[in-house]
Amino acid sequence: MMKSYRRNALLAVVFFLLWLLGFATVGYSQGAKAQVIPGKFYVAPSLIKNPIQFEGSGFVSKEMVVVEMVLPQGVKIKGVKQGEDAVGLAYATADVEGNFKTAMQPLATLSWFFQVGWTVNGAPDFKEATLLTPGKYEIRAVGMASGTIAKTAMEVVAPPPEEKK
Amino acid sequence: MRIRWTVLTLALILLVGNLDGTDVQAQEKEVTFLELGDYTGPASAMCNPMQAATADYFKYLNDKGGVNGVKVKYIPMDARYEIARALSAYNRYKRDSKVLVVNCMGSSIGKAVGAVSREDNQVVLTPADGHSHALRSNVFAWGAAWADAFAAVLDWCLTDWKAKGKTGKPLIGYMSYNNAYGQDALCGGVEYAEKLGLKLLPPEFFPPDSLKHDVYLTRLADQGANYVFIGGSDPTPSNVVRGAADLGLTKKITFVTDMYGTTAIGVKLYPDALEGTIHVAYQIKGEEAYNNPFIREFWNKYQKQPINKMVEAYGTGLAWSRTFEFALRDALQRVGYDKLTRGEMLESYTRQTGLSMLGVQGSCAYSKTSRAACDEVRFYKVTGGKILPVSDWKKVPDAVSLHKWL
Repeated sequence: MMKSYRRNALLAVVFFLLWLLGFATVGYSQGAKAQVIPGKFYVAPSLIKNPIQFEGSGFVSKEMVVVEMVLPQGVKIKGVKQGEDAVGLAYATADVEGNFKTAMQPLATLSWFFQVGWTVNGAPDFKEATLLTPGKYEIRAVGMASGTIAKTAMEVVAPPPEEKK
Repeated sequence: MRIRWTVLTLALILLVGNLDGTDVQAQEKEVTFLELGDYTGPASAMCNPMQAATADYFKYLNDKGGVNGVKVKYIPMDARYEIARALSAYNRYKRDSKVLVVNCMGSSIGKAVGAVSREDNQVVLTPADGHSHALRSNVFAWGAAWADAFAAVLDWCLTDWKAKGKTGKPLIGYMSYNNAYGQDALCGGVEYAEKLGLKLLPPEFFPPDSLKHDVYLTRLADQGANYVFIGGSDPTPSNVVRGAADLGLTKKITFVTDMYGTTAIGVKLYPDALEGTIHVAYQIKGEEAYNNPFIREFWNKYQKQPINKMVEAYGTGLAWSRTFEFALRDALQRVGYDKLTRGEMLESYTRQTGLSMLGVQGSCAYSKTSRAACDEVRFYKVTGGKILPVSDWKKVPDAVSLHKWL
């Protein structure tokens, strides 16, 4: 009798561990890589014409890759609710070999780096802009079909004094 | 010892049973409508009324106990009209099998989300791009396709030209955003114009946020345009017509705005400049919208403002929410809650053909062979600061199928 209880408990532990293991099938992949170009910058109008770029490898052939900026505690982004941990910055379709290269679209730069308001006429309102808080931000590139994640970082610095004028 | 092992075993069983968030009591039945919306972005003026209507409708449903006891969880996300943000937000929910519909504020967003969710048979709602119509996949349009509505405009221009006693055929100008949406109406629209023997002048594309359009208008006027079709989401088309009025062009050119064009927003901004503007719409506009009982019931109950404060796009939100309700009911009746999958919801969407939209727009045209919410449009004219109908409902031509889609 005692042995059957121990056996049942042992089985419960084994099943529990197997269930936990099931969650480890998707996530960070050591083979996937990503980088931000440039890795360090300040938010300025020049980012519209010369946008931040992202490159990566190790994804599944032809899958959609979305590049996200993870939001540190306390950093608020216009349009992003509390509880959301990241905001998408760019996207690309990986090539046959699982590599991708993309750049932020002007609307993404305006929405997430400048956080502009928008007039009723659909024009960006820089009077309502709140520049992205300087700091280090984790960037993750996520393969939408495979769940592959590559992590990197970018640093937003304060604009130089002459830019603030 | 025996008791300790028993307690440990029971504790582990309970722990495993609860780790996925399932309460030990029966879980409330719920499905999700995910809104990849625009609340604070460039299209928010048009999107906010639609989004408000959706929130109101689901509140109404849930207050009644849901659909056959299944409540609707409405998740509004502010994508600010931006594709990467929308994809990232969708990715967070794509593994939740009870996310039955994803609504995308923007054709480009709908195209992107539709592509990544196709394998899952996710129902994706989107404004109206022709590619979705041609593919007949998981992407469903809010109304008629852009190209089909543009084709109806070409028919209207020809009829109007003849009614004015003119001979020959008019010259048609085209202005729209310099993005995928702006090109879309021409995919099928160009072919339809050729079929009618109409000459389309080289199209003019402008940035969505531009406030002045003199260069484009002047070029079209110099080429002798008799009618100019203006794409874009209000108040952009109204801005264009205002600019045309400033140039004196509204005296010799008839301007026709696209399906999200002339609304209460634009008419309030520029009532004099817009006088005489023609508007093609798949849903009722102006006074008709203010007087529609279905719209009035919801607006008065949930928005609690004078009806003339309403932007007519509120009716669009009610229409797609109503379609969701009936598709959900159909799916629950066919397979029940436990077997309700995205694929079954997609199947139910194709079974809503003929569903009445209570006068807001034509009856539902979704079917196995159509991804258009309706296949009729109506023409309106701005008269005395009001948007008044000048035609009956007209079935749109099938211009989308004339185009060679890749």
